[in-house]
Amino acid sequence: MTDDSDPPPEMPETAPVLDPAPAATQRETIVLAKGHLHPAVLLLRLLGALRQNAVPLLLGIAVETWFLVAALVLFVVQLGYAVARYLTLEYTLTNEELCIREGLLHRQERRIPLDRIQDLGFESTLLRRALGLAVVMVETASGRGVEARLDALSRNDAEHLREVLLAARPASAKPTQGDVMTAPAAAAPRPPEVEWMVHRSSTMELLVRGATDLRLGAFAVTGYAAFELADQLGFVTQLAGIASGFREWLQSLPPALLFGVLAGLLFLVMAFGVVTSTLGNIVQFHGFTLRLQGDVLQRRYGLLTTRQKTLPRARVQRVTLEQNWLRRLLGFAVVKADSAGGSRSDGQDTTGGWDVIVPMTRYTTAQTMLPAMLPGIEHETFTWRPGSRKLIARATIQGALLALVVGAAFWWRLGPNAFWAALIVPLWSILGVLTWRNLGWARGESFFALQHGVIGKNFACVPTAKVQAVVTRQSIIGQLFGLADLTVYVAGGSPTRIPDLTLGDARALQRELAGRAATSAAADW
Amino acid sequence: MTETDRLHPPDRLAARVVPYWIIGDSISSVVMTALAWFLGRPWLADHWDSWSPAWENALLSLCVIVLAAAALIPPINYARWRYGFVGDLLLMRYGILFVEERAVPVRRMQHVDLSRGPIERLFGLATLVVFTAGNEGSAFRVPGLPTHLAQELRDRIVQMRGDGRL
Repeated sequence: MTDDSDPPPEMPETAPVLDPAPAATQRETIVLAKGHLHPAVLLLRLLGALRQNAVPLLLGIAVETWFLVAALVLFVVQLGYAVARYLTLEYTLTNEELCIREGLLHRQERRIPLDRIQDLGFESTLLRRALGLAVVMVETASGRGVEARLDALSRNDAEHLREVLLAARPASAKPTQGDVMTAPAAAAPRPPEVEWMVHRSSTMELLVRGATDLRLGAFAVTGYAAFELADQLGFVTQLAGIASGFREWLQSLPPALLFGVLAGLLFLVMAFGVVTSTLGNIVQFHGFTLRLQGDVLQRRYGLLTTRQKTLPRARVQRVTLEQNWLRRLLGFAVVKADSAGGSRSDGQDTTGGWDVIVPMTRYTTAQTMLPAMLPGIEHETFTWRPGSRKLIARATIQGALLALVVGAAFWWRLGPNAFWAALIVPLWSILGVLTWRNLGWARGESFFALQHGVIGKNFACVPTAKVQAVVTRQSIIGQLFGLADLTVYVAGGSPTRIPDLTLGDARALQRELAGRAATSAAADW
Repeated sequence: MTETDRLHPPDRLAARVVPYWIIGDSISSVVMTALAWFLGRPWLADHWDSWSPAWENALLSLCVIVLAAAALIPPINYARWRYGFVGDLLLMRYGILFVEERAVPVRRMQHVDLSRGPIERLFGLATLVVFTAGNEGSAFRVPGLPTHLAQELRDRIVQMRGDGRL
């Protein structure tokens, strides 16, 4: 981690060479690309400043001149800042680092070593697209998400930057943590480029994604927001009137018809949810393609705002195929990947499918794509092992304890009716059986895989070389039954947890995984 | 070292971690029970209609349990704690209700910290904190080490990392 210091500024062409070996280790700084923001950015900033100040400006014209003055001052300051930033910002890509300089009064220089760049993404909103611009986002492993943002370059400049950067990477992006002995990029023969169009999403798949989205929570929030709005506008009394009228009308209906009307309403609500979710998904993921170029995964998608995301597959820590029960029934899955430094909680577009590799595809197709993200998995043979059957007993006991607590809590209020809490016990057993039937794990030569779920099903695969630490955990009930949870930590995303292994299995697996992590190269992640 | 005993961490913490933990736990327990007894009890008696001596006894026994726990849990915790290096794995095992066994390969460690709080310093103790890459659960702590031993361990980790790097 000590090799991030600045490179020697200039390397004399004819440095005295004593023997060839050290000469190969010397780095030459070659400038590969250099540039400024696109001038049209000024137009963007002007529009942005206008939008921000629109309300004060209107207020100033209509109500009070004081607002007008303040808004104008703010407007001028914002524009001046934009102009200064545009004039001073300069990026330089060398074979070692990306350097971004900016600032007039407060000068800032940001240097990002190439082998630290995790992910390079482009994003164009509708307006930027019309102007032929793209925002370039540079992500590193710091866990902060986007480390640097160039808003915006011309599309050509952005494409050029990416190509040059990816071409410069292979030599410097090998695991070189703390290792200065890297051959210069130019000297290393590039491996033949693999070009694999891994997946192109069809509209049908995106429709399936929208229609099988079971998160109706978002939908409830929308309903609540609509109610709030109605309340703000003073419609609630009218609404209440309508509601009570409606209720009376419902009560006057015969029961069969009443049921029909309610079912119809429910259907309408569901249909509305499905339609909005489907539209949202199509707008977001329209024309999704996943392509493997050399060792780099590239995603392009979007209808209005287009995005291009680049992910070197060496950074992939875990690949997950996720199926909720409906998707499982239909045989579809979402493919997700965790990468080093990425985190599920932050990042500006977690809802935008930050770690989505393929938004929706057939489960069997998804399995054939795995080698694109996890090279070598095609040679792996997994022998699946089930979880321990004691898991069902464990779940039942937990249900019984819960039933006791719930029953006791309601006893003084409900009396003997509190015995209904006993229903929790069989329910928990059934959940236990379902969990047990879905649970399975497999340890291959260089990968480790897990399947779990209750009614849905998830498949997760972790390269053993990426393992950072392994933890087994036993709860009190687990201690009684000799069961343990195993948690595998990798360098990004969330840890992978296998529940309810027998203690022996858990310990053996822990020993195995930790041992492999200890012997694989230090900076393999 | 054979394959079967690999994951048994060999070492115990320094015994004087017990009084240190007791003091540390007691501070919060004493403050909490004192607040409950001297402020909470009179307030409840004034404002709650069904306050009765039975409730007062219940509160008293709760306070006693909390105070007793501060004194009784540290020795058990100490008895259960094991840590140590086996090969190039740092192992830890601890916990009473929830037992955890952790294995961290030295090669995966990003950096190592020693932390010493004021009471810890009185007892000449230090906590070794080891960080791996990643966000969640990337810090691993071994408390209750004699300062010189903690420093030795830290140096050893740094040295092992240095060797592993070529």
